[in-house]
Amino acid sequence: MDCVVLPSRQLRRPLANLCRSCSRRILPRPSRSYASAASAQPDIYDVVCVGGGPAGLSLLTALRSNPTTAGLRVALVEAQDLSKTRSWKLPPDRYSNRCSSLTPTSALFLDRVGAWRHVRRARVQPYHEMQVWDGVTDARIEFEWDPAASQEKTKTKTIAYMTENLNLTSGLLSRIDELGGVDVYEGVKVEKITLGEDKEELDLSEWPIVQLAGGKQLAARLLVGADGANSPVRAFAGIESRGWDYGRHGVVATLELEGPGWGGDDMKIAYQRFLPTGPVAMLPMPGNYSTLVWSTTPSNAALLKSLSAKDFIALVNAAFRLSPVDLTFMHTLSSGQDDELSWRLQHTQFDSQAVPQTVVGVQEGTVASFPLKMRHADTYIGERVALVGDAAHTIHPLAGQGLNQGQGDVASLARTIEYAVSHGQDLGARMSLEPYNAERYAANHVLLGVCDKLHKVYSAGSGPLVPLRSLGLRAVNAMGPLKGFFMDQAAGNGIKFPSKLF
Amino acid sequence: MPPRTGALVPRQLCRNTAVSLRPIRLVAPTSSRSFSASAPAPAPKSHPTDSTFSSVSPDEVSHFNALASSWWDPQGPSRILHLMNPLRHDFIRSCRSSVLDDPPPPLTGLKYLDIGCGGGIFAESATRLPTTASVTAIDPSSKVLSVAKAHARRDPALRSKLTYLNTPIEQLPVPDIPQDGYDVVSVFEVIEHVSHPAQFLDRCTPFVKPGGWLVLSTIARTWMSWLTTNVIAEDLLRIVPRGTHDWRKYINEEELRGHFLQKRTGWAEPRCMGVVYVPGLGWKEVSGSEKVGNYFFGVRRIAEPT
Repeated sequence: MDCVVLPSRQLRRPLANLCRSCSRRILPRPSRSYASAASAQPDIYDVVCVGGGPAGLSLLTALRSNPTTAGLRVALVEAQDLSKTRSWKLPPDRYSNRCSSLTPTSALFLDRVGAWRHVRRARVQPYHEMQVWDGVTDARIEFEWDPAASQEKTKTKTIAYMTENLNLTSGLLSRIDELGGVDVYEGVKVEKITLGEDKEELDLSEWPIVQLAGGKQLAARLLVGADGANSPVRAFAGIESRGWDYGRHGVVATLELEGPGWGGDDMKIAYQRFLPTGPVAMLPMPGNYSTLVWSTTPSNAALLKSLSAKDFIALVNAAFRLSPVDLTFMHTLSSGQDDELSWRLQHTQFDSQAVPQTVVGVQEGTVASFPLKMRHADTYIGERVALVGDAAHTIHPLAGQGLNQGQGDVASLARTIEYAVSHGQDLGARMSLEPYNAERYAANHVLLGVCDKLHKVYSAGSGPLVPLRSLGLRAVNAMGPLKGFFMDQAAGNGIKFPSKLF
Repeated sequence: MPPRTGALVPRQLCRNTAVSLRPIRLVAPTSSRSFSASAPAPAPKSHPTDSTFSSVSPDEVSHFNALASSWWDPQGPSRILHLMNPLRHDFIRSCRSSVLDDPPPPLTGLKYLDIGCGGGIFAESATRLPTTASVTAIDPSSKVLSVAKAHARRDPALRSKLTYLNTPIEQLPVPDIPQDGYDVVSVFEVIEHVSHPAQFLDRCTPFVKPGGWLVLSTIARTWMSWLTTNVIAEDLLRIVPRGTHDWRKYINEEELRGHFLQKRTGWAEPRCMGVVYVPGLGWKEVSGSEKVGNYFFGVRRIAEPT
């Protein structure tokens, strides 16, 4: 399946770590000396992946670690300098504010491709229970794996693993470096993507040509867009992405709690409370640390970012304890939330063991926010194009599924490519890619829809929807099988769709 | 529904030009007639153009000429054929891995001859396999072959390993010594389009290296295949161009088995695999279905012909 031409990859490999200007001098680069880029022969690859985030890196890792696809000639194009990610290091008492809840399915996939052991496990926190409740009515649902069902294993079952995104990407990069064989073009922008030319013995008129700043051209049998929500690859393929903005921002922060959680280190709990402005979630990190994801209005988000550490902490504690009315009031203050909270807590009844332990600190520089969107591309594939991760879909973070969806995409696309290679199919041909689209599109669509509806249902502070949704939450809590379905979704064992659709 | 004898019929293929697919392999010549009629003739140095000796039917050629332009359209009439292609490799792999030789035959450096390659769906895929050294693909239709060549130019991985020749099998020079033959000689969706299947298969024989495999595919001649391939696929669902299949030309698996093992010598280890197309799911291997519908058949040329 190997394709042709190219100067040997081994030659280029060791140079990947050199700075670009050096490597430019060393590598044969006809385009530089002979300025007419049009005549430059593109370098031909089987897979060119644009975007070096979790999805793109996982895909390359999966392809390189599988003997069937290891013979493919692959390249990564990433606009940022990856050396920061490679050398990423934080002291054990500091945590990055961008974390993801990796499902066991995602973790298993990462393990299978050999990346999980490159992730710093001491910084990963499994959790075993989820507490979700309605901020208006207090209707509650507790997700914990049925102790009777998992008795034989005696160990509590993990719902998901809280992982810093940088821990994951640096682990993936380390695995890719270990595997070798990926031509990395980093710190270089994609200038444009065009179609190739039909000349002499070779017709590349249906092949995407990625033109990098500096003149380098990469011809792609398959161009993978792992290039995020504003994917240039998706734009090149003419694939529309539809959806809406929630008018909400997600506020993140790394928090320090009074203790390791009510269940101790061995029984970590994730909390999420649905407030009319959006859900606020506290997810456990190792030790006394937790990460906050608070979906709220842009003005509330701006306020949160402007508060002193003391008042920020107070508002976070309030978010899990006070009534929505009290909270609304506290958001009108530009400071003084700390005093306000201690006064109001005296008049509020709640079960302190049913909410996260009290926050006592926020790590400096970790409070940040980003706008929340829902987007779904019309399709994930085109001729010689496949989209994965955020380039294909953007989801509300309330179920923590964004990164897992991307990992599911990658696992599926890697399987699809493997099948194509082992059967001599052209892995970039749309027909070869069809199983990927069939397997992932419907599954992602269901999850996008469910999270979208949840957001909308819980946005109501009053009205007929409020008692109904509480009834719903209580009913779900009482019904084992349905709860099992939701937990399976959260754990990534979601509904399976037929892998082929013709 | 006894098979008819007689020469094959120019079937209605050309009638519906737009549609026809060879892709579906459905049509096979009736076995009994041509098989029994033909003598095990040594492959004559034939007069390629002489229809008496050529396996090629002019009607078939014009039929596939008409199909040429849509051959590589994944949504076109050849779609079902494209979908079937991966199973051909599964079948060839199962044939080759069934061998108990000591030492085992080499796993790489394989030479393929694809007879009746059409637009090159199988030939291209065989070429891309890392275990393949070279593929020679032949077809009597020049129009179809030009489509194949044009398509192959789009993939730089094919350049050095794939050779297309516009020729019927009768004109292809027979290897000087048997060891120069091919590891795999494939005759997919073809035998139902040739005029004298038994003679045609005899002509393929000298190209198979001793220890190599002749693999082919066709359709069993049963009431079920008549119903599914002619009535349902062509007339009702229209997923196969009308007139593509002449049920009378279908060949049953035991007829092929009888041909190679009883009427001819030098062959052993016959294998087969029945496949079923399920709309919405694609092609599936279904054991026992070779008795009913589409199937692959493979037979190995033994090292010392007796």
